Amino acid sequence: MTDLTLERVSYRYPKGGAVALDGIDLHIAAGERVALIGQNGSGKTTLVRHVNGLLRPSSGRVLHDDSDVAGRTVAQLARAVGLAFQDPDRQIFAGSVRREVEFGPRNLGLSGGALRAAVDEALAEVGLDGVADTNPYDLGASRRKLLALASVQAMRTPVLVLDEPTTGQDMRGVAIVKRVIDGAHVAGRTVIAISHDMGFVAETVDRVVVLRAGKVILDGTPALVFSKASWDALRSTYLEPPLPAIVGSQLGVAATPTDAALIAAL
Amino acid sequence: MAVTTTALAVLAGGLLGPALLTAVAVVVPAVVGRILGRLLRTALLLTLPIAVSVLLVNLFFFPAGREILFQVGPIAATAEGLGFALETLARIGAISGAITLFYLTTPPSELVLDLERRGVSPRIAFVTLASVQTVPALVERAATITAAQRARGLDTEGSLWRRLHGVLPLAGPVLLGSITEVEERTMAFEARGFTRPGRRTLLWWPSDSGPQRLARWLLVLAVPLLVSARAVGWLGWLG
Amino acid sequence: MLALESVTYRYAGAPRPSLHDVSLELGEGEVVGLVGASEAGKTTLCLIASGLAPRTVGGTLTGRVLLDGEDTAPLAMDELAGRVGIAFASPTTQLSGVAATVYEEVGFGPMNLGVARPELIARIEEALAALRIEPLADRDPAQLSGGQQQLVAIAGLLALHPAHLVLDEPTAQLDPAGTAMVAEALAGLAAGGASILVAEQKTDLLAGICSRVVALDGGRVVLDGIAAEILADPRLTKLGVAPPAAVRLRRAVADANLPAAALARLEHALAAPR
Repeated sequence: MTDLTLERVSYRYPKGGAVALDGIDLHIAAGERVALIGQNGSGKTTLVRHVNGLLRPSSGRVLHDDSDVAGRTVAQLARAVGLAFQDPDRQIFAGSVRREVEFGPRNLGLSGGALRAAVDEALAEVGLDGVADTNPYDLGASRRKLLALASVQAMRTPVLVLDEPTTGQDMRGVAIVKRVIDGAHVAGRTVIAISHDMGFVAETVDRVVVLRAGKVILDGTPALVFSKASWDALRSTYLEPPLPAIVGSQLGVAATPTDAALIAAL
Repeated sequence: MAVTTTALAVLAGGLLGPALLTAVAVVVPAVVGRILGRLLRTALLLTLPIAVSVLLVNLFFFPAGREILFQVGPIAATAEGLGFALETLARIGAISGAITLFYLTTPPSELVLDLERRGVSPRIAFVTLASVQTVPALVERAATITAAQRARGLDTEGSLWRRLHGVLPLAGPVLLGSITEVEERTMAFEARGFTRPGRRTLLWWPSDSGPQRLARWLLVLAVPLLVSARAVGWLGWLG
Repeated sequence: MLALESVTYRYAGAPRPSLHDVSLELGEGEVVGLVGASEAGKTTLCLIASGLAPRTVGGTLTGRVLLDGEDTAPLAMDELAGRVGIAFASPTTQLSGVAATVYEEVGFGPMNLGVARPELIARIEEALAALRIEPLADRDPAQLSGGQQQLVAIAGLLALHPAHLVLDEPTAQLDPAGTAMVAEALAGLAAGGASILVAEQKTDLLAGICSRVVALDGGRVVLDGIAAEILADPRLTKLGVAPPAAVRLRRAVADANLPAAALARLEHALAAPR
């Protein structure tokens, strides 16, 4: 399994563009579930694109298990990091759900029975096993998003990165995403999720990293990051803590980012 | 103006004609508009490939070439070839200069509004505009799609053969996504009354001053004049 | 008053209808929330309410869509444009793409409708003020944030002076700042007496502005009533709709059998303004 390290990583867009990442130092141990939160433009997507080599740092290093990724191509790094993009329509190209999910694992060298098994498993996990032969565009937008998730999940990479997996999803879709993340965690894989849904974040991950203007401003457990002491920092980047944290603090109890935690504290 | 300059460039013979034309119709306005630098860079970028091939082909392979300037192995550069090449380059310069000037000075929305004010149906005007504006959006979409597929192991840095495999996973979403986007845009347009027959109210339109109109008419008139002049045999000194 | 009367609608080429026998009323000054799982028919209902279905989108519609008692069936899309405005989830595809400034973008609709120039200018300025985006008037719409673009889109609809506004998941693609911006704008419009039908997954947002909520499931209306009641209805979860955070918390607390004193303190904290 793979440890990830960003060592003083800065990134500036080409042709004198804005600084998107400003000296980020981040270490994510294998098997952690991490949420990356912040406003659009804070650098979340830029950061995760450094993890699989789509972007190369202007300064600093990105390491997989103490080894600099600089010399490896994106295709090579795809063995270690699967990245599901926010817009599934910028990824879906196949005529059937099955063929779409096959693409990633096939690129990694799977074939025959092993390929079929990986695909079947991923489809079952997101609840699309019943529509394996359907054209993706005959599915609604939220099921296409689950399809994109399955396509990356089938690659079974040690690190799974999800860019806004719950945006546009209904309750059932969010539950499926949560299950996929939990399943990956149990299998010892690292999960990094970019999300705007604070409730989802509080209930799903062990660690929350808050970005603002290319810098990390908060990094800790959900209880810590959503506790009253952090509210000023959160609000400075237009984020609101989830309801249980707010109610908990009004009642004078600490560390209540989720409903369950609040109830336990009362 | 771009159209007439192009026409004139083709008609005016020799070297001096196009050069003079370029100076008057392209360089002067560019200097006035303070875009000479951008103009030169863009025009150069666009025409460099053509210019180089025109130069090389004519320099070495001009059929009527007699006077040899220098040799490169078995092939010889001729003076006549050079002359012809330079003339053609001057014409190309005038044409690309004019087109680039037009492109750099005319925001698409102005062009569309101007056409509409003169009675062109808004639907046609907007289709023109939309096709121009689609390009940057398409480029941006293609970049994201490429990134997404690379993240799934698509090899874009390997051998050509491997990269050919990537055509469908790259082209597919670009096309499909563009179609979806067109559908969404069409709905938004129609929901805002775009299909109503008749003219729209315009908030503003590009101003058209007297001198501008005069300059336009002069250029337009110059075309038939030059044609007849050449036919009659005058203006030979222009080349 | 916008009314759907026993509407059944099937997209062109679809094997089954997307809406079955749907009846719904949107009165003057009413703000109605539309909830349901993905593919329950929310978008389809919005398209029908605005007239885009069956006109632009195609498909077959049985039943009637009425505006102030008048059957809209013989009306063309451009005639409906000025009467019902519709906004979508994607901030970018709604922009006309032909306006250099927000000012022109907002005017796009009434320009199409041939509104006289003085009236056009008045409407643009009124719409900018209603959404408090006057400072953005000279900006290039393509350079704005998603939330700002959505506000421009909604202002563009207001400039049409429609009797009703239909919004299909307007915050789905926005970040928290953008969502807050749009929620605040909608609250302002609602307070000003606008008639709004808004489909959303974010039930917290709806709780803040809607007087009524309608729930769809499999293309049928299954719940229709007072917002606070419907959003607290246990059946909502079965329909695949996440209830507002406060409702969820209350339910979890109820299941946990906490002592009465703790419950009282909780209620007090929930009722307090934040």
